[in-house]
Amino acid sequence: MKLVINGQERVLECGNVSELVSKLNLNKDIVAIELNKKIVHRENFDNTKLNDNDKLEIVKVVGGG
Amino acid sequence: MNEKLKIGKFEFNSRLLVGTGKYENFDVMKKALEASGSEVITVAIRRVNFDKEDENILNFIDKGKYTILPNTAACFTADDAIRTARLATEAGLPKWIKLEVIGDEKTLMPDNEETLKATKVLVSEGFTVLAYTNDDIVACKKFEDAGAAAVMPLGAPIGSGQGILNPNNIKIILEQAKVPIIVDAGVGTASDVTIAMELGADGVLLNTGVALAKDPVKMAKAMKLAVESGRDAFLAGRIPKKLYASASSTMEGTIK
Repeated sequence: MKLVINGQERVLECGNVSELVSKLNLNKDIVAIELNKKIVHRENFDNTKLNDNDKLEIVKVVGGG
Repeated sequence: MNEKLKIGKFEFNSRLLVGTGKYENFDVMKKALEASGSEVITVAIRRVNFDKEDENILNFIDKGKYTILPNTAACFTADDAIRTARLATEAGLPKWIKLEVIGDEKTLMPDNEETLKATKVLVSEGFTVLAYTNDDIVACKKFEDAGAAAVMPLGAPIGSGQGILNPNNIKIILEQAKVPIIVDAGVGTASDVTIAMELGADGVLLNTGVALAKDPVKMAKAMKLAVESGRDAFLAGRIPKKLYASASSTMEGTIK
């Protein structure tokens, strides 16, 4: 399926957010995820289905002032 | 009496808040944070870079020692700032936010209209909001009325190191404030911080002045002492300025 992740189009087969997190080799404990501008709580990664053309933002903490 | 700094439900002994941007590396940052004596450390929220795995900054910040304050730096709309604040909480950070919505790329001056919109929404969602704004009494009052737990007027443009450009404005804000006022942005060296604290600021938030100093760890220590020194001078109450001299030694009993 086609997903837009952090502004970039990617073709990945994953049924839910948890699968996406492991496909991208992310540490689920340090990222925060927004699906189509709505927060996906960490406890809902397993049961949040992904659909073609979904837009995701995957962020983490970085240095800043 | 040197009271604690209280921002909403958060309480701190230190009145210096420091950022984590622009350091040469995380080891230097860690040492500078320690030397600053700060208890509040600011961070930003950014997209994960899938091409290159960066070190996790949180591994260098002792969560037992510091309270991490996320910011909304580089947001240009209320919507983006609100989304960033929500993501920060989701990333496991405390539910408070250094809210900044920028209106101009070159000066990084705040867009108060958008910041105010975001303040109202985030306060209604239970966030403790620290609103970054101009050194303008009218703007500060609006943030107070909107429920901001602290207001953070700038000393000078972000990262400019120009110091407290308009001490009179800061003084007026402090005289009328009902919430803590943290001078945020623009301080370049210890004396700038002392000036802010001598005016009666409740705290100072800085980043570049330490991170880009030749010796960030030494500068962090200088900033710590500057905050303490300025605070004590404010509490002690300075003498009024006079036009003419006033002898320190008694004039009585001088030899003739």
